[in-house]
Amino acid sequence: MHRIGFLFLAVWLMFSCGAAWAASVPLEITLVPDASNPPSPRMGDRLKFLSVIRNTGGRPAQGVVAWISLVQVDPGREQPMDLEDWSAHKAVTEAVVSPGQEVTVEWPMRLIQSGNYRVVVSAVERQASNVVTSPFADFHVRRKPTVESNRILPVALGIPGGILALMGWRRYHRS
Amino acid sequence: MNPAWWIARKESGEILVNGRGLAWLFALTVIMSVLSLLLVSNTELSLLDNAQVVYMVMGTITALGALFAVVLGADAVAGERERGSLMPLLLTSVTPSEIVSGKMGGQAAGWTVMYLLGLPYLWAVGSSGQNLLQAIAYLALFGTLTVLGFGFFALGLSARFKSVRTALLTSLITWMLLASPLLLGPSLRQSTVGKGFDAANPFSASLNAFDSVVIDSQPFAMQTGRLAVALAWLVLTAWYAVRSVRKMEL
Amino acid sequence: MIVEIRDLRLVLGGRPVLNGVDLTMRAGDIYGFLGPNGAGKSTTISVLAGLRPPASGKVEVLGRDPVAERTWIHRRIGVLSEQSGFYEWMAAAEYLKWFSGLSGKRIEEAEATLRLRRVGLDGRNRAPIGTYSRGMKQRLGLARALLNDPELLILDEPTNGLDPRGRREIHDVLLEMSVNDGVGILLCTHLLDDVDRLCTHLGILSRGKTVMEGPVDDLLAGQRAAARYRLRVPIPESAVNLPAGVRVASRSGEWWHVELSGAGDPATAWRELLDSGLRVEEIHQEGGGLEELYLAATETREAV
Repeated sequence: MHRIGFLFLAVWLMFSCGAAWAASVPLEITLVPDASNPPSPRMGDRLKFLSVIRNTGGRPAQGVVAWISLVQVDPGREQPMDLEDWSAHKAVTEAVVSPGQEVTVEWPMRLIQSGNYRVVVSAVERQASNVVTSPFADFHVRRKPTVESNRILPVALGIPGGILALMGWRRYHRS
Repeated sequence: MNPAWWIARKESGEILVNGRGLAWLFALTVIMSVLSLLLVSNTELSLLDNAQVVYMVMGTITALGALFAVVLGADAVAGERERGSLMPLLLTSVTPSEIVSGKMGGQAAGWTVMYLLGLPYLWAVGSSGQNLLQAIAYLALFGTLTVLGFGFFALGLSARFKSVRTALLTSLITWMLLASPLLLGPSLRQSTVGKGFDAANPFSASLNAFDSVVIDSQPFAMQTGRLAVALAWLVLTAWYAVRSVRKMEL
Repeated sequence: MIVEIRDLRLVLGGRPVLNGVDLTMRAGDIYGFLGPNGAGKSTTISVLAGLRPPASGKVEVLGRDPVAERTWIHRRIGVLSEQSGFYEWMAAAEYLKWFSGLSGKRIEEAEATLRLRRVGLDGRNRAPIGTYSRGMKQRLGLARALLNDPELLILDEPTNGLDPRGRREIHDVLLEMSVNDGVGILLCTHLLDDVDRLCTHLGILSRGKTVMEGPVDDLLAGQRAAARYRLRVPIPESAVNLPAGVRVASRSGEWWHVELSGAGDPATAWRELLDSGLRVEEIHQEGGGLEELYLAATETREAV
């Protein structure tokens, strides 16, 4: 009886470990800024991040989807960023990543807003039940004055003012 | 000297020296100034890229220029008729084509002034200098084709209708219809009807060209289709104007 | 012949507007073109100016077809139409200089001033036309019509808005042009005084048709040949036997306009009329002037 019990336990453990082993595929993701990125980027600059997705496990990872996420981390303004204007390249897919295979992905990004940001790449595969993430990459975007008020004001006031003066002069001249 | 030149000279004087024309120019520059000041004071808008801001200003100058052309064009013939000055003009040796050329010469002078008044605004908002020179060139090209086309169209309506009010109303409705791409979201313009409308609309051709050159830094070669739409608009409306003046009833 | 119209007909909007207009003018004639409102005078002028093609009939201006050779004719005629607007922001001299440029013969400031003086607009050259009175605008319109030194001048109500002195001044200008320069003048007017003073020829239009045309003296002589009387007949009989030589030209209310032809004594005609049963309460003799000519030509003739 004990022998049957131990047999059932061994089979159950084997299946459990096997299931656990099937639920967690060791995908490993790296994330580094591209060497050509400007050292002190400003609004409007373009950055590039490089990541390598490697299958460190013993079985193929199927239906891999990897995507990039961006959050603003300024105190009091923490928020996830909508990548609509920042990046056109939001996700990649791979049908199969074989054991030991590496997939290199570039993540280009245009800096729309100033502030402090954190970028991370995440990935899932069909059979796994967890998300694999890369390390974070933090960067700061400097503000760039897009519209110079010391140019706008003289123009905005000067041109209508000039026309008004012309109208007044004309009326005075005629009378 | 060509009678058309004489008429153009008179029209230009009426627009630029007469109080009425100056008042219009004043109103239009106030709108441009308000837009520019909004760009400075509104932090949301000020985060836009320079190129986007320059694109917005270009679109506004084109739309306002077309509005000005519509107002002038609607008054061109029907207004003369209502003021009693059309008959003396018809009793000279001036031909219908010369009348149209002369009236449009005045409109061209008005648009030139509007364009020149718009350049400081472009300079003021385009501080990064991205594609600013191209912006100035493309505004001159596409803006002129679109604006003068509206002028011809309104002039044609002015000759057909005997009332300034009717001609102006019809022209304004057409202007609003064609300017609607400025207001419609991109998703609405992606439908089959939206795409078809875009393909034949001079406003859309101009705006898409501005976007392509100023924001996306694309070359002239990619603008030929849009240029063709704008040119076709000008040619068709010019034909309509001359034909309408030839056939107008006393 | 500077103007020749024969049986001109025109239909507008499905409605016959001109039903047989005849008009003949020679160089130097001052032709009075009369008719009630809506008779077709302005329409006839627009046909002469080449602005409307006729449906049928012969129309020649200075020997040419006004539709086919409109530009050539416009260079040689001057027209002051009833609706005659200006660019109110311009000054008069500036306007004349500009307008002269349209025909390719631009005048300078000095000549513009001279032309304005000729029509009595001296001293207001620099003021905007918008400040002008109606009479002053009328004078400016005449100056505009004279810009290309025309061979034919077509004037629609040229003395509208002018005081008696102003009208006299304009008359003098027109007479001088007609006599000294041989300019033909077609004058549309309701003012019979103007016709009386100026016109050598007369044409009367009624319902789109010329009802009377010819030299003024001849027409008036024919008018005077028949003695005219005005009778008040309070209760008219439906049918009356008129004596010989008595003709009812027209009736308006109680008043009968009667013509007596023949050299007999009018008293005889009245006695015969009363004997016929007609009750006549007043009898007045009428002059044979332009007004009577015009009224006779344009009033409805009723069968008696």
